[in-house]
Amino acid sequence: MTAGSNPLRDPRDRRLPRVPDPCALVVFGVTGDLARKKLIPAVYDLGNRGLLPPGFVLLGFARRDWGVGEFESLARDAAQQHSRTEFREDVWRRIADSLCFLPGSFDDDEAFDALAAKLIELEDTHGIKGNAAFYLSIPPPAFPTVLEQMARTKMADNAERGGWRRVVVEKPFGHDLESAKQLNDLVDDVFTAKDVFRIDHYLGKETVQNLLALRFANTLFEPIWNSHFVDSVQITMAEDVGIGGRAGFYDNAGAARDVLQNHLLQLLALTAMEEPVSFDAESIRIEKLKALNAISLPDDKQTYAIRGQYDQGWLAGQRVPAYRDEKDVPKDSRTETYAAVRLGVETRRWAGVPFYLRTGKRLPRRVTEIAVVFKRAPHLPFDATDTVELGHNQLVVRVQPDEGVTLRFGSKVPGSAMEVRDVSMDFLYGESFTESSPEAYERLILDVLLGDQTLFPRNEEVDASWRVIDPLEEFWAGSEPHRYRAGEWGPAEADDMLARDGRVWRRP
Amino acid sequence: MATTLWDTTGTDIVNALLAERRTAGALASGLALSLVVVVDEKQVQEAETAATVAAAAHPCRLLIVVRRSVDADNRLDAEVQVGGRLGPTEAVVMRMYGRLGLHAESVVLPLLAPDAPVVTWWHGAPPDEIATDALGVLANRRITDCARAADPRAALRRRAEDFAPGDTDLAWTRTTPWRALLASALDAVEAKPAGATIGAEAGNPSASLLCGWLDSRLGVRAEVDETAGPGITSAAIEATRAEGSPYAVSISRPDGRLATLRRGDEAERQLPLPRRELGDLLAEELRRMDPDAVYAEALAAATGVTGIGDRPAARTHKWRDPAWAGASS
Repeated sequence: MTAGSNPLRDPRDRRLPRVPDPCALVVFGVTGDLARKKLIPAVYDLGNRGLLPPGFVLLGFARRDWGVGEFESLARDAAQQHSRTEFREDVWRRIADSLCFLPGSFDDDEAFDALAAKLIELEDTHGIKGNAAFYLSIPPPAFPTVLEQMARTKMADNAERGGWRRVVVEKPFGHDLESAKQLNDLVDDVFTAKDVFRIDHYLGKETVQNLLALRFANTLFEPIWNSHFVDSVQITMAEDVGIGGRAGFYDNAGAARDVLQNHLLQLLALTAMEEPVSFDAESIRIEKLKALNAISLPDDKQTYAIRGQYDQGWLAGQRVPAYRDEKDVPKDSRTETYAAVRLGVETRRWAGVPFYLRTGKRLPRRVTEIAVVFKRAPHLPFDATDTVELGHNQLVVRVQPDEGVTLRFGSKVPGSAMEVRDVSMDFLYGESFTESSPEAYERLILDVLLGDQTLFPRNEEVDASWRVIDPLEEFWAGSEPHRYRAGEWGPAEADDMLARDGRVWRRP
Repeated sequence: MATTLWDTTGTDIVNALLAERRTAGALASGLALSLVVVVDEKQVQEAETAATVAAAAHPCRLLIVVRRSVDADNRLDAEVQVGGRLGPTEAVVMRMYGRLGLHAESVVLPLLAPDAPVVTWWHGAPPDEIATDALGVLANRRITDCARAADPRAALRRRAEDFAPGDTDLAWTRTTPWRALLASALDAVEAKPAGATIGAEAGNPSASLLCGWLDSRLGVRAEVDETAGPGITSAAIEATRAEGSPYAVSISRPDGRLATLRRGDEAERQLPLPRRELGDLLAEELRRMDPDAVYAEALAAATGVTGIGDRPAARTHKWRDPAWAGASS
């Protein structure tokens, strides 16, 4: 039912939270890392904030010979260790009452029949009214099997039980354009396009959403947000960790497919897009898609598309092994753990402005940021020696950690001489709002249950991203990645790439 | 870090605050608002605890004003804290003796964070008329708490008569979880409400506001049943579905902690609905800086005072000297 017909709802009454309809959240692969560290804690946090509907069921599905008791203890540990908000026993008890667990493997017809029957049963016992969201927290090769099972049991059919049925898919969305299309076709076939939610958890972060507020709610930035004033844009996502236990997946994917294709291109799209006609999901997606379609690749890929792989080194005071010595990685692996590329956005607004994107593992620190570097003033009425320490003005949107915005500009150094040096003006999220930022997954799961698609990339966006990545992968195929030492900011060739353009990477 | 100033002046407090900020390295910290707390000596501790909880969510500038006896000699004592026992905030606790208390704004004005909204919170019985307290006049948002008045229902009526947009009351804040549950119960079905009943302690101002809200939103008269409490103990709405069958929602919370929710023919459900701490209530109030129009409507409906939402938001200070009262009596 729409909120519009509810007399107790008033758009001016912003104290009242939007609470989803009674529903079930079915998590496939509920014993995995993502479920334990992010999904279950996020569900707890939503419960603690009073944002779960009175009829809510968290249904776990995994290949474990478990009863609900074991699942509850796993979920309880997960919530206790990883939840953002304080752990409260009475809140947990309420969530624990609505936990279910079904054991089974994905090719097991009986298990899926049992799941379908369980969902029908829950309509009576928990009043979920046929509403269910399916979270596929499973390895990509298992997608088709699970989706076919859902099609077979009619679990994905909205009309079948009179409620809504939604599916949440985690990245990677395929490994190239071809496979992404196949996957998209399959998912959209089983569910309808409006019921498919592709999670890019970066888009759930406050600062990323704030980028739109920053650009379109202020008069200050939009007039200079173009090639007349912007010199270049640097988008960085650095991780200090290695590949952890993900060797099997990572060695086949690499940094470009793992991060560049989704997170970095989404951040680029939000930075480069035109103003949407309104702030609804559809309008924003249209503009993002336009930006993604306008991306151009460098002609000289040898210079402007660099990939690297880390050797052994020291990071944060600890010795770390080379990528090729990580567990389960082939000794002759040519998979990149670092990728840097110069892209263009061929629109009137951005023509000629390079967008430098880089991502890597085992870099000195974990940081994600968008830096808009402005041109230097066309004329400086100071002596050349007065402004040697003056750099480019910069606007830096820090996505993580310490979410916020920094503005760098020149200021006079106190003293009798005229000397201008760069200073920073900082806006920190934690410091200026009474509301603490929800975790990305918290926000995104709530959006799925409410059916709000604003923060989820649609399949055209995924396709457009692969059209950028595929030629790069093709160019890199068979070549040896450049080397960099674990604990440094990527290979020297990536620095050369900017040096050739007379620029340097920002140290984030 | 803390600096304590005895028998001091407003200028010295401003300087002490600046010095504290510099040593704490917090010169560039963002300040979204200044929170002025008007409190009696007896409740200082309680107010500090609540303000610290509310400010932990976000560092604001906390200005606690304790007015001592008007008959004493004029004196100002102050304690300046940056990131000290009052959490990650800048806090100044001021004790004003004598007639200085009537001119508290002269000390507070230069201490307000530049161009940031000001919230004034009276922790104690609400003032009879806000315009007579300059600390209320300079605020964008004013928070009172009718539940702390000797006669809460009369205080609520006073609030309605004295209302200006930007006023809120913690009695209203206390209704939010109830309102959220009731509203989401009506999200699920299309039904026309026919009546509502609230169960609450005698004289509970939150119950009056909840009734007022239901009256103004649903156009039905909500009844209040007196119970032993604590606070609001139940809320129920009877409605009729589009096809004519009845739909009833009821929430009951006899112990002030755990609620039982019944909606239509769904199975009965237990959920935690604890009475919230003062700090959490205050944090909810600080979340928004715009006038709460829904509160105005609920207050009007609860007290029968009409047209209060259309009043001008700004107040002009009215000078009322306690010496006059002494002379006339």
